Amino acid sequence: MKIFKLPDLGEGLPDAEIVEWLVKEGDAVKLDDPMVTMETAKAVVEVPSPYTGKVAKLYGQEGDVIETGKPLAGFDVEGEEGDEVDEQPIEDSSSETPGEDGKSREETEESKPAADVAPEDAGTVVGAMETSNAVVTETISSVGGIKVTPAVRAVARKLKVDLALVIPSGKDGIITRADVESASRNPDAVTPSAAAAPRAAPATGRTLPSGEWEAIRGTRRTMARVMSESHKQVVATTLMDDADIHHWNYGQNITVRLLRCLWAGARVEPGLNAWYDGEQNMRMLHKGMDVGMAVDTPDGLFAAALRNVHNSSAEAMRASINRLKENVNNRSIPPEDLKGYTIMLSNFGVFAGRYATPIINPPCVCIVAAGKLVNEVVPVLGGFEVHKTIPLSLTFDHRAVTGGEAARFLKAMLEDLARPE
Amino acid sequence: MASVAMVEAVTMALAWELTNDESVVVLGEDVGINGGVFRATAGLRDRFGDQRVIDTPLAETMIAGLSVGLAVQGMKPVAEAQFMGFIYPMLDHIICHAARMRHRTRGRLTCPMVLRAPFGGGIHAPEHHSESTEALFAHIPGIRVVIPSSPSRAYGLLLAAIRDPDPVVFLEPKRIYRLNKEEVEDNGEDLPLDVCYVLRDGTDISLVTWGAMVKETLEAAMSLEDRGISAEVIDVATISPLDMDTIIESVAKTGRCVIVHEAARMCGVGAEIAAGLADAGLFHLLAPVKRVTGYDSIMPLYKMEMKYMPSVKRILNAVEEVMGIS
Amino acid sequence: MPATVASFKIDYYQFLSPDGTLISDDVPPLAHDFDELMKLYRQMVLTRVFDKKAVALQRTGKLGTYASCLGHEASHVGVGSAMREEDCLAPMYREYGAQFCRGVTMSEVLLYWGGDERGNDFSGPTHDFAWCVPIATQCLHAAGAAMAFKLRGEARVAVSIVGDGGSSKGDFLEAINVASAFELPMVLVILNNQWAISVPRSKQNTAKTLAQKGIAGGLPSIQVDGNDLIACRWAMENAIEQAREGKGTTVVELITYRLSDHTTADDATRYRADEEVDSAWKREPVSRLKTYLSEQGAWSDKQETELLEDAAKQVEKAVAEYQAVGKPSIESMFDYMYGDMPADLQAQRDRALEELK
Repeated sequence: MKIFKLPDLGEGLPDAEIVEWLVKEGDAVKLDDPMVTMETAKAVVEVPSPYTGKVAKLYGQEGDVIETGKPLAGFDVEGEEGDEVDEQPIEDSSSETPGEDGKSREETEESKPAADVAPEDAGTVVGAMETSNAVVTETISSVGGIKVTPAVRAVARKLKVDLALVIPSGKDGIITRADVESASRNPDAVTPSAAAAPRAAPATGRTLPSGEWEAIRGTRRTMARVMSESHKQVVATTLMDDADIHHWNYGQNITVRLLRCLWAGARVEPGLNAWYDGEQNMRMLHKGMDVGMAVDTPDGLFAAALRNVHNSSAEAMRASINRLKENVNNRSIPPEDLKGYTIMLSNFGVFAGRYATPIINPPCVCIVAAGKLVNEVVPVLGGFEVHKTIPLSLTFDHRAVTGGEAARFLKAMLEDLARPE
Repeated sequence: MASVAMVEAVTMALAWELTNDESVVVLGEDVGINGGVFRATAGLRDRFGDQRVIDTPLAETMIAGLSVGLAVQGMKPVAEAQFMGFIYPMLDHIICHAARMRHRTRGRLTCPMVLRAPFGGGIHAPEHHSESTEALFAHIPGIRVVIPSSPSRAYGLLLAAIRDPDPVVFLEPKRIYRLNKEEVEDNGEDLPLDVCYVLRDGTDISLVTWGAMVKETLEAAMSLEDRGISAEVIDVATISPLDMDTIIESVAKTGRCVIVHEAARMCGVGAEIAAGLADAGLFHLLAPVKRVTGYDSIMPLYKMEMKYMPSVKRILNAVEEVMGIS
Repeated sequence: MPATVASFKIDYYQFLSPDGTLISDDVPPLAHDFDELMKLYRQMVLTRVFDKKAVALQRTGKLGTYASCLGHEASHVGVGSAMREEDCLAPMYREYGAQFCRGVTMSEVLLYWGGDERGNDFSGPTHDFAWCVPIATQCLHAAGAAMAFKLRGEARVAVSIVGDGGSSKGDFLEAINVASAFELPMVLVILNNQWAISVPRSKQNTAKTLAQKGIAGGLPSIQVDGNDLIACRWAMENAIEQAREGKGTTVVELITYRLSDHTTADDATRYRADEEVDSAWKREPVSRLKTYLSEQGAWSDKQETELLEDAAKQVEKAVAEYQAVGKPSIESMFDYMYGDMPADLQAQRDRALEELK
């Protein structure tokens, strides 16, 4: 069957209404025979048959509205086999938006009669308008505690009003246009020095004698955002214990062992190698493990993923750790490595500190932090020994993980770390 | 409050001003009974009559010259050029008269007219219907060149343009005429001209754009957010006179700038912005300023028009280049 | 045989022949209103004396390029004196005779050609358009003005003046068209002085008249001897009255001759024969009216001498006023650009004030 799709009836119209079928299913038709009368927003036009053959299917009844580019009629054409769709060059082109190069519009065989929708004017005499009823709102910006819409911000610029000194009256502390206009009328409220400053200091409006405000940017800014998000959402609880690594064979790599022990924990309690979506109240237990390693840089903190920890050999892990270090040094971490990890590890102990209350990046639910290696006096059968230990701190999101799960996870880690290799 | 598309916001603003200022007249080809080829004046003739919403003979030069005469003699004409491709016969009157009327008569005569024109590509229109030549006007002192990028800005900026005491060329990016809707209160409140609109705050890079390209630029900014790159998005809105201060302040914060426009690169408004940054923002810059623009080739007919216009991908490529430098 | 669906004729009006006699008894009352004629004659003479002085100022380095109106006096005064104050004139750039009738001062004309925008801030009716250099564009401005008057229901008329060269431009033809479409209260004057700089009337087109372009647009159109003050004034009064009564636009082609160079920067001997100019002098408007008035016993040699002395004094006074005007301020380059000055322009202004001190 050949499917004839409703063409643009001349002026960039989105659809047309079937007024009258001049043929019925089973009729033999000739090319250019009158087939159907369609009403567009502007005119009633007669659409002729595009083929010589038999009418196999009509895709709408009189009164139905057919969208441009949707099937109108099917034909059995002699010598032609299989389902074919008429080429619609204009339609093909319209599927290309600047945002999505080359992505083709979804083809649907069934028309969606929309008789309840009045035929709409395409709003142009040439071409075709991209039309949508989606209602959008503009972002309210919130910088340095100032909440303001783009329009009000522009009004402030026009009136030379420093937003940092405007007292907001809007809902949720948003500065309204009236607030700005009133500040403009009462210039006394705006100190000249502050108004002249190129960038408003945070709302205190004061500059400390010891330094100057600077904008937080880049990684440090991302850190600030992620941390405060985490603080807002996550119900964090931290467990701490020491892993005894006295029995380690020579040449063990601490980071590799830490990575391995995470997987040991996850095998016992997969609930910590998981993602949690608090809004939809859903969680995902991961089958494998990608570890987000906290990386400290002068520009701020971020977490980079080490992939497939669950099935990597010690060598492979060491290689990916080295690659990560190199990338950090070259500042060339691929953006895709900055997300998608399933659990997190911080190795802050290389600097100093024993225990911590590390912070989880949602949607992860667990982070383990390793402190500085210490020699501890350990009671053993018949006396004391001095063993090397790693202080571990495990933070979990108590919304998604129970205390028991976390403790069993930690226990499995300690057991794995106690092994010679 | 109604949700309206950008083209409907234009109609709303015209209706408000026709109601509240009896010196306002709307004139052009097909603006009356047909409501404009894009329906920007739909229903206005029925509401306000053919003495306020006037179908003119088909003569662009005449529409511009008539508007100058009307404006100088106390009316506020809002003329429509059907497409920017047909605006060039009007340049004589805009450049030689509208732009300089106040100046050359030391304020004795003024020319408070608005010339509206749909412009830009992306609607599969025939030849001459898709160019973006806003820079031609931006080069002319004495006029304002205003380009909205959303329904609310179309409403507020058009009201401001009509109320402005000087000529305003109001260019409407037709690709986004009906792209989406926004709640716009029909309260007659205008929005400031001569200032940029900061649509999104960011700290790593400033993306500066206007018109239909605001859409792609915002999409690029969202994509960058996912990669941990915080992009500030500035809609220039009034491309002449240019509010360089907002752009420089933004770059002082981010250190990087990519300018996006649909028009060809050579002598585009992006060049002026880049020069402004070189002049007053050089020491804030951590990387070279990049432009993502139409090519210095003829706007293709519609089969290839989307390849000509900057895409999200091209914007992201430029951002990557810039971010990779420092 | 095809049927004739339209035909046209162009009437030519002349009352005073080049030798200063009435061509018939069928003349407008103005021909016998000697008080009015003397007033208009004084205006024509003043225009001519001024024009001569302006050229002299340019030749002595006291004025920039100047466009002389020598020979246009009857056309100018005919147009300017037929208009009411509330009407609106959209001139080109040499219609001083018409503008003096409307209250523009001689020193303002000098100021403009002396390179100072303040000349355009003239004291004629402040709604009149300023001098218009881009040829023929003023026709459409007059159309816009006429439309404003019509929309507001005001009994006012817009008058634009375009040259024979300007009548070839689209603006003029589009003005005819829109005037016809909207029945605008307007008069479109073609001041046909035979020369568009160096291009003669015959090279603009082969049409018998320029007025007939108005017929093509559906407008009543006439041709008038532009050196005959009585005919010019009569034709303009009629056309303006028609417009004021809501009967639309008339096209009036005034046939005159540019006796001067195009401007002081031009040398017309490069492109036209002395014989042609000599013959044109025999038709010139000022002596024609003077002869008529003298023959009628309405004008004496003594009056002529007094008029010339008085005109010279007025012109000298205007020159003194012009020369007393100081340079424009630096600020004035910026302050009239916008009603609401943009920040960036303000910054340029500040800098200019510092640098150009």
